[in-house]
Amino acid sequence: MYRYDEFDARIVSERVAQFRGQVDRRLSGELLEDEFKPLRLQNGVYLQLHAYMLRVAIPYGQLNGRQLRQLAIVARDYDRNYGHFTTRQNIQFNWVALKDIPDVLAKLAEVEMHAIQTSGNCIRNVTSDHYAGATKDELMDPRPWCEIIRQWSTFHPEFAFLPRKFKIAVTAAEHDRAAIRVHDIGLHIRKRGDVVGFEVHVGGGQGRTPHLATLVNDFVPEAKLLDYLEAIMRVYNRFGRRDNKYKARIKILVSELGEAEFRRLVDAEYAAQRDNEKIDLPQAEIDRIHAYFAPPELAAKPDASEAVEALKAEDSEFARWARINLHPHKQPGYTSVTVSLKPIGGLAGDATDAQMMTVAHLAETYAYDDIRVSHAQNLVLPHVALDDLPDVYRELKAAGLHTANESLITDMIVCPGLDYCNLANARSIPVGQAVQQVFADPDYQEDIGRLHINISGCINACGHHHVGHIGILGVDKKGEEFYQITFGGRADEKAAIGDIAGPGLKADDVPGALKRVVDTYRELRADKTELFIETLARLGHDPFKEALYAAG
Amino acid sequence: MTSVRPKLKPDTPKAVTAWETATGQNVWMTANGSWTQDVSQIAAFIGDEAEARLAEAMTQEGAVTDPYFMEVTEMGEITGRETLRETIRAKGPTVSYGEGA
Repeated sequence: MYRYDEFDARIVSERVAQFRGQVDRRLSGELLEDEFKPLRLQNGVYLQLHAYMLRVAIPYGQLNGRQLRQLAIVARDYDRNYGHFTTRQNIQFNWVALKDIPDVLAKLAEVEMHAIQTSGNCIRNVTSDHYAGATKDELMDPRPWCEIIRQWSTFHPEFAFLPRKFKIAVTAAEHDRAAIRVHDIGLHIRKRGDVVGFEVHVGGGQGRTPHLATLVNDFVPEAKLLDYLEAIMRVYNRFGRRDNKYKARIKILVSELGEAEFRRLVDAEYAAQRDNEKIDLPQAEIDRIHAYFAPPELAAKPDASEAVEALKAEDSEFARWARINLHPHKQPGYTSVTVSLKPIGGLAGDATDAQMMTVAHLAETYAYDDIRVSHAQNLVLPHVALDDLPDVYRELKAAGLHTANESLITDMIVCPGLDYCNLANARSIPVGQAVQQVFADPDYQEDIGRLHINISGCINACGHHHVGHIGILGVDKKGEEFYQITFGGRADEKAAIGDIAGPGLKADDVPGALKRVVDTYRELRADKTELFIETLARLGHDPFKEALYAAG
Repeated sequence: MTSVRPKLKPDTPKAVTAWETATGQNVWMTANGSWTQDVSQIAAFIGDEAEARLAEAMTQEGAVTDPYFMEVTEMGEITGRETLRETIRAKGPTVSYGEGA
């Protein structure tokens, strides 16, 4: 992974010192909240329903054991013994006192972490495929390009005050696990002959006006990428609306201008860049960053492991976990392990300090010191030898981290909702837990197969409800919580925005209604290999709407 | 700062609530103008007195952040349109979390 050089280290430690001074002035009353707010947001500090919330950046979701251990220490010493992993592959602490935040940031700086650009109208954490560098189905490792974009976008003076926040995702696999079509910019790495380049999608996003991104350029060669991104950002910075917060994202600009005009403006901006401002990334620099992401040296191993096969035969729970939570690795004899943070009845994406310590230990012992956060709010150990799986599983089980539900119906994306969030209109967590309960039976879940349910507690859509196969949106009607259901969303290479099924349901009615929908799918599917989303596409939404609103 | 802060009529009983600046903990104004984390101590104000109490809170920027009116009964109990939000804010998340989850 990338390691800080002396400049990175200095920038981060100077920022900690600067913020410490700002916090002191806030606590003394010298700075008023209106003056302090933009400063704290630039350092990832929100004021939520109950307390300050600190969002820490995890660039493209990658951590090493030392970093995860430090996050555990922060959770233990400064919070209430847990943290919340987010859909931007970051982590949030919900109860940190403002007076302690400079100390927390100093602790993070010790392990090359910070909270810079995790909030505010700037370019946020670049996200990527959580199996990057390990998965069989990628063209190449996208992380070096995430890092190059991170370096370019961090403290970029021209893009510190954009009309609105800005999110970039990068993938290099045909199966898109980074949701690039619902990002402000989504990049898909391609090759033409020997030349590496990028398919550039612009103007996707969720929130109150969901849009799928438009393909603006089907191949930008790698050396030109930053100049091209800069052209997009300049067009957005100049023409993006600043008069209305709800129309300020680039998706609105692309939609209002239309694809052709937006492309023309970007091309004109790109052509107008002067030679002395072109970045024209040199090959040596591309190579230098790539060197940080050299794959681990994995010893040759046979395709299958006798130890794993033996344990599968005697422990059906392990066999199920191995069927569901493992992802094919590019090297035979290895696998990527999903550590589910979605136990039945738990809080999606939450991990206690002890659980973080366990995963850090596993990463250092069995997984080449590499941990990923997935945008579905799970953790991943990308490189694990099959022979080590029994030991890894035993430790996960002891820590309550062995739930076998990766991409199954109980692996829900759930935003914090009204239990924590100042913007939410309705609770998400208890509804998510109740939905999990009706699908808790492991055989039932496995029979249902891959089915993504995403839930948000307000229209800002942090829980990605628009792109859930089944989406749930919490709304407030005269002080009462209701839940609107959508069908047909997806975040992958066939990205789609879900359609609203009809009137909202009361919280208590949601689990039963979704069970009727899912059982209807089980009756109507062509065979067991046809996923819910495929049956929905084949038959249309009507049978499922009927089931949703049928009398319980 | 919150998504919804309904405008309350002058004669509606209201409490003044805010966040303690140093910790971020929720606080409510008591009858004597001090701040408490104990919801049983919430004071109800109406009319000009309520406006004066909120104005007073806004001068205490070092101690508290973003004070606002919250609808309560005359006894200081949370009521009205934002009952759910304010109850969660007062009592904490409705789900067990951390090691209790």
